[in-house]
Amino acid sequence: MEKISLLFSRKNCMGCHACEVACKQEHGLGVGPRLVRVLEKSPDYIPIYCHHCAKAPCREACPVDAISRNEQGIVLIDNELCIGCRECIEACPFGAMQFEDNREIAVKCDLCIQRLAENKKPACMSVCPTACIYLDGQKSIATVFEKATSPEVR
Amino acid sequence: MAEIKRVRTVCRSCHGGCGVMAHVKEGKVIKVEGDPASPISHGSMCSKGLAITQLAYHPDRVLYPMKKNGGNWERITWDEALDTVSGKFKEVIAKFGPESIIVGQGTGRDFESHFSRFGNLLGTPNMLTAGHMCYLSRIGATLTTCGRHPAIDYANNPKCIVMWGCNPLWTNPDEYKGVSFWRAYQKGAKLIVIDPRQGFLAKKADLWLQLRPGTDAALALGFFSVIIAEGLYDADFVANHIHGWEAFADRIKTDYPLERVAEITWVKPDLIRQAARLYANTKPAGIHWGVPTEQTINCTDFTRTAVGLMAATGNLDAPGGNVFHEPPGTRKISEFSAHMALSDEQRKKRLGGDQYKLASRMTIVTPKCAWDAILTGKPYPVKAGYLVATNPVVSRANANEVQAALKKLDFLAVSDFFMTPTAELADIFLPAGTWLEQDHVSENWKYHGYVLARQKVVEIGECWQDHKIFMELGKRMGQQWWDTIEDSLNWLLEPTGLSWEEFKHKGYLHGEQKYYKYKEKGFSTPTRKVELYSTVLEKWGRDPLPKYTEIPESPVSRPDLIEKYPYILNAGLRTPTFFHSANRQIPWLREIRPDPIVEIHPATAEKHGIRQGDWVWIESPRGRAKEKAKLNDGIDPAVIVAEHGWWYPEIKDSGHGWDLSNINLLTDNSHESMDPVMGATNLRVLLCNISCCEDV
Repeated sequence: MEKISLLFSRKNCMGCHACEVACKQEHGLGVGPRLVRVLEKSPDYIPIYCHHCAKAPCREACPVDAISRNEQGIVLIDNELCIGCRECIEACPFGAMQFEDNREIAVKCDLCIQRLAENKKPACMSVCPTACIYLDGQKSIATVFEKATSPEVR
Repeated sequence: MAEIKRVRTVCRSCHGGCGVMAHVKEGKVIKVEGDPASPISHGSMCSKGLAITQLAYHPDRVLYPMKKNGGNWERITWDEALDTVSGKFKEVIAKFGPESIIVGQGTGRDFESHFSRFGNLLGTPNMLTAGHMCYLSRIGATLTTCGRHPAIDYANNPKCIVMWGCNPLWTNPDEYKGVSFWRAYQKGAKLIVIDPRQGFLAKKADLWLQLRPGTDAALALGFFSVIIAEGLYDADFVANHIHGWEAFADRIKTDYPLERVAEITWVKPDLIRQAARLYANTKPAGIHWGVPTEQTINCTDFTRTAVGLMAATGNLDAPGGNVFHEPPGTRKISEFSAHMALSDEQRKKRLGGDQYKLASRMTIVTPKCAWDAILTGKPYPVKAGYLVATNPVVSRANANEVQAALKKLDFLAVSDFFMTPTAELADIFLPAGTWLEQDHVSENWKYHGYVLARQKVVEIGECWQDHKIFMELGKRMGQQWWDTIEDSLNWLLEPTGLSWEEFKHKGYLHGEQKYYKYKEKGFSTPTRKVELYSTVLEKWGRDPLPKYTEIPESPVSRPDLIEKYPYILNAGLRTPTFFHSANRQIPWLREIRPDPIVEIHPATAEKHGIRQGDWVWIESPRGRAKEKAKLNDGIDPAVIVAEHGWWYPEIKDSGHGWDLSNINLLTDNSHESMDPVMGATNLRVLLCNISCCEDV
């Protein structure tokens, strides 16, 4: 099966934060964990998101094997198995792993796997007005940055 | 598992218009998504609309009518609430006349038709809106200049877009959402951005003109200086369709040579020249302009000059330029509004009507005139008010005066979702429904050629949609309305041959677009031409030609203030998560923007020992507010940029922190500072100083 991941063209992120709210709504999250987040450094915006790494540091750091990678390349966390030790949060180089205080567990982007199953775009992608969030069959981080500067993306 | 029902409707978390699919489970909205079939938003939704469930089901939301009893709010029935309001209004009318009641709304919330009808049938000419300095002001200026509001025609792909004081990807979605702009831009349009602040669009732009805040009209006249000197105008259009071209060209040559424009605007002559050439030589080209151009003394003159640019370059009503969209064939809102029902006698009593003639023509008063009348009793006493979806204590100029005036009213009723600093001043609170709780032929007040079906998804508490509140209150005042909301919508839709039920299923209607209509009919002005020389303004004894008036409180006009207030405050920075004073209590949105932000150039911040994240006092000759510092080297070191609309719903006393970070404690609303025909208050440009805030 073809692997998929989400790409953000940083160049076209204009800081509207719609992706953040769409994600919270989709995953029923309150204040605290931000599975996708846009940092502002006027006049630039920096999307922070899970890259679903092939050699995922979060997965390697997890002492109870709560984090796995499925055949589509989506890195998932099992809420039942997570013990809330925060090792994965330390390990993630992007700051994409989040902690939910209420349940005392780590939470992360699941690429809206349920929506994908219904052939719908991930929530964040579905609302982006500049279409700077897109899905790609390629999974490597290098590809992300190549894509972000490729000529067809203005 | 309970079934999830999907209902198609239309957002109104800002001015509205984006298509929504609402997901309903067991009578509750659990999720909203963008509607890909929407001709306005094409499936996108912004953070504000996406957070509607947190607003609609917010624990602080007021879900039933209330009255104030000895300073405390207590729950009452709708009957008691409406009887109280209508009873008080009848007392005031008997004693002082209907003009002693003000009826006010805030920014456009899609009930303009009902608001106006209620006021007109009540007999009061004193209708307060944001329109003196937002949107209606451009409708007024374009009406007198070219007969109708010319919206940029993104659907036909402008090859050059002038984004003037506006970022539709963040805010200001009047005719077009950011998505439409973005599509046209992605197709390769050249982009000219005019903004004192380097935002996302300025970075994308082919040309970025960083002007001195408030000098937009001068810059527009500077464009003309180039266009006339280099003969870049459409000679045929100018000869046949512009009234007063010679006189206008003379004024440009005499008063606005490029060097002088550069001196006024701080934009280098060569950059103005390049921009004017790019706009004039690229066909088609469109101008998309925002409220900063309207919120100064130059409100009307800027819009008139901008229309002049569209006209002289042959872009007016040309595909891909700025066009007059055809209305979709429903009854007009002016008819629904029953403007003819207001007698001449009452019309003549409009506060400030003799002075602000354009505002009067647009059937509103500038709020300053209302505050004056309340506070002084002149020219006659104003005793009661009804404010709907508006928080003027935070969002109007000179907040202290606004609060004092509202406190002095004998009786005030408000409709809102929450107890705002304004609502707390009221005697009666009427709980309004959100856009999830209303049926309406939405967008019928806009100039984009569409109406869209906003259909009720749920009912929450005892809240009523604003339209119904106006209708039921109106009936108690003896006014003629319809039995039900559906009846009124059927009446609005009648000429289209559709009933509300049928329209709801259809989703939207679009007027048939035609271009170059002036070739047959001319323009809807007294001379049938684009009136760069305005016969209307001339008749009113005003300057018939557009000009730039120096901002009343600037380094140029008030050098005496410079020592104490050395910076230009550019107030009213918009953010994508909030809409004016709304949404500060929505957890998802407040998490993104927890604090009010003041942007300061790093060099300026250093001078004052201010670091990123410090609380900063911003002070003008009239007052001060504190906001949190964000360093931005994309603004001029002499310019300070501050957010507006801030109060703190989490502060539970009745002021809700209205006087802490409210930038309108600094703004001026003196008559001298306002646009002379529209009464636009200067919410944007004044002098200020900054200092580190020690006591946070």
